[in-house]
Amino acid sequence: MTKPETKSEVEESNRMWASASFVGVLIIIGLPLWWKTTEVYRVSLPYDKISSFDTLSHSITTELTVLANDEATASEIVGLIEKAFEHSDVIKLKITKSILSKQLHSTLDSVADEVEAVEEVGAAYDLTKHNSFYVVQRKPLFQDTWLAGERVMFFRDAKAARTVVETLKRVVYQTSVVEGAKSEAADSARQTRFPPGGGYHIVLSVVHPRPDALTVELDAGEAVEDYIGSFVDELSVLHNFTLKSQWLHLLDFDFQAKEVRDTSDFGRHFAVRQDRLHLLLTKLEERMATHVSELPTINLALYAVPCERAPLVIYDNNDKKVQSHVQAFMSPKWGGVVLGGPSEPNCRDARVTWRPNVRVVMGTFISQLRKLLGITDAEHIEGAHLEPLRSVTPRQWEIDNLLRIRTLEQLTSAERTLQSLAQLLGEISNIVINDEVGASINSAVDSIQQASSLMTQGKLVEAYKMSQSAFLAAETAFMEPSLLALLYFPDDQKYAIYIPLFLPIMFPVVLSLKNLLLWFRGKPIHKEKMD
Amino acid sequence: MYLTNTIYCVLLSIAASLSFTYGIEIPENFQKSNHSNNWAVLVDTSRFWFNYRHVANVLSIYRSVKRLGIPDSQIILMISDDMACNPRNPRPATIFNNAHEQINVYGDDVEVDYRGYEVSVENFVRLLTGRVPPDTPRSKRLLTDEGSNILIYLTGHGGDGFLKFQDSEEITSQELADALEQMWEKRRYNEIFFIIDTCQASSMYEKFYSPNILATASSLVGEDSLSHHVDSAIGVYIIDRYTYYVLEFLENVHPNSKRSMSEFLAVCPKSACLSTVGVRKDLFKRDPDKVPITDFFGSVRPVIITTDPIDILDIPKRKKKPENKTKVSEKREYLPQFPMHLVQNTKTG
Repeated sequence: MTKPETKSEVEESNRMWASASFVGVLIIIGLPLWWKTTEVYRVSLPYDKISSFDTLSHSITTELTVLANDEATASEIVGLIEKAFEHSDVIKLKITKSILSKQLHSTLDSVADEVEAVEEVGAAYDLTKHNSFYVVQRKPLFQDTWLAGERVMFFRDAKAARTVVETLKRVVYQTSVVEGAKSEAADSARQTRFPPGGGYHIVLSVVHPRPDALTVELDAGEAVEDYIGSFVDELSVLHNFTLKSQWLHLLDFDFQAKEVRDTSDFGRHFAVRQDRLHLLLTKLEERMATHVSELPTINLALYAVPCERAPLVIYDNNDKKVQSHVQAFMSPKWGGVVLGGPSEPNCRDARVTWRPNVRVVMGTFISQLRKLLGITDAEHIEGAHLEPLRSVTPRQWEIDNLLRIRTLEQLTSAERTLQSLAQLLGEISNIVINDEVGASINSAVDSIQQASSLMTQGKLVEAYKMSQSAFLAAETAFMEPSLLALLYFPDDQKYAIYIPLFLPIMFPVVLSLKNLLLWFRGKPIHKEKMD
Repeated sequence: MYLTNTIYCVLLSIAASLSFTYGIEIPENFQKSNHSNNWAVLVDTSRFWFNYRHVANVLSIYRSVKRLGIPDSQIILMISDDMACNPRNPRPATIFNNAHEQINVYGDDVEVDYRGYEVSVENFVRLLTGRVPPDTPRSKRLLTDEGSNILIYLTGHGGDGFLKFQDSEEITSQELADALEQMWEKRRYNEIFFIIDTCQASSMYEKFYSPNILATASSLVGEDSLSHHVDSAIGVYIIDRYTYYVLEFLENVHPNSKRSMSEFLAVCPKSACLSTVGVRKDLFKRDPDKVPITDFFGSVRPVIITTDPIDILDIPKRKKKPENKTKVSEKREYLPQFPMHLVQNTKTG
């Protein structure tokens, strides 16, 4: 009687231990393992730092020195400038005022022209320093203010104070453009210039539709090297550039130009409508092979118009002839085109040869390049004299301002990218953040903080470099190819795979739990036979 | 009394705001779009000869957007199979999309960016989100910005909530919606017009949640999208119904024509398509009646005339970098095309 009982008890306990081990494996080891292995891997990110970014709060400190003949003039000028820039939230001026030394004062008043005067100031003060600017009094001026390529502006006397302030605001610092760099919507300058980046690839293409009818004599490589090269060397603090030139033969474009009679040597010109020009860009792109470089490409094209269609004149959208000695246009974020061709006497030759005027053509390209790279042209201000550009070199204060614009633009862009990324991670739960992405996010956050402190210290070049590394790190973090990984395994699919696998096993295990608990408490299982 | 006053005030302000908005809308027939460039992503997801029609679909749309002005550099064309070179093609190097083999959509200037097995869900999502491997050429990237209007056209075989790629994988509507949201967050578009021609097509846009997307589909959930006709010489169906009627409509559109998006959305009535064309416009902020079709099918390319060339006085000379130039220029010449010297040798010998 006792033997079978013990036997069944032994069996019972075996059964219970077996089911307990099932429970142990599945629930105590299996479930956490499943949880752990299907978890989305995310490096911890500085969310609080990212959310505390305030893209509108950045400002750049910049040095301004006012040098006047006497204390009263200096104070008046400084007072007005301070008042004008008081509410500017991008540019914080650190103004130092001082009185011109006797010697410098007398030389400035005696030297004949302004260029010499600039040299004199340059001998006494350091004009090569980025992010600094000098406003200097010079009595014998014909205008209120005088400004050229150096970091010096001359003014005549205290009456010119208003012009000084206006020139500083609208020409030297261009506060509206700088503010546009961090605004939400792109302003016209931002719509024109290339987006920030580490480098650009500049290609000059000489487009030659009729090599049989026209010989073009131009050393394109030399021209690019000398003119464009000298220009970009000045901007080397901002970006890296690669230069290239190429010839595109037999690329014909139908301008659909209308012949118009006039009094020129040709006795006619061909009118091209402005709204036809963008099709030329499309045509050019077919052959230009602009995507050979990894860098964004700035396209420059010189189109050689053959004799039978020369001269080509652009008519704007109001059907007005364009008043310029060069027929040229540019397309924002793309590049520029110059239309050129032989002159009338040339065309009478048996073998027509065209030697483009390199100075004019390159001068046009440089003018376009300046805008494409972010140097906006200053408006004219009453009473202020701005020496026109006579060389490829950009003005020193233009470079400073470009540094400011790009610094702000990169910083704002980096912050927005990180904020978007943080928001996305909240929205889409199955994005993996691996260690690399985490590292670039952290480095971007660090760089942003450093850049903004460098900006307030007024170290412009360092701030620019730092903002560039922040920008690049933020872009890499967002565009990191590995961010795609778990998008392929969204939650619903995860359950679709695991549930059929686990449910059939889990069902009996969960049901046996009750029996198991009862058995552990020492209660008999009510399955014994009663006989 | 106070209450009636406030109600009165509220009503007044509502009326004022209404009249204000109408005041803006009436003068212009079309609402201005603030996009600054146009892109197109055209994808055929299916391979094999019997899916000839999908390749014809996508190439036809490619031709249309190109004709309407989007340059090749701003069209990403993904084609899973090369029908023109398929051994079963009785007319090699051609793809026709119409009866009597009238229009050869293959032609000589088709620039396919992703082809064959490169057309995968992964590459498609990478393209949209911009998460391409670093060595990807620029022609294979969607280099859009905050001012880009993008036309996305997908064709292939689909089901409820997915679109099949290459017979081996599929993209789900959720993945697509997430990809578009990531584009929005990264400011990669201004507006998107999403067209999909597949079975149960409308299921693909149902999960979208990002703003500024106008979506249309050839069929509703539970419906099949049908093909248009067989070409007996080629032996397969050569175009899908929906795309056929879209093309018929686009034929009459010119770069400066004034057709509106709502005309496009009504292009294939049920009598013609046999399936119901689905439209989703709740994410789109503008009224399709007032959006010209060229906002998505055409291309804007602002052109600024340069009137201020710099008058360069001193001719610059760049300091030559020594590593840039090799000192001895290598002289190269072609070999003679026909080895005459050998011929003479044999004569004398």
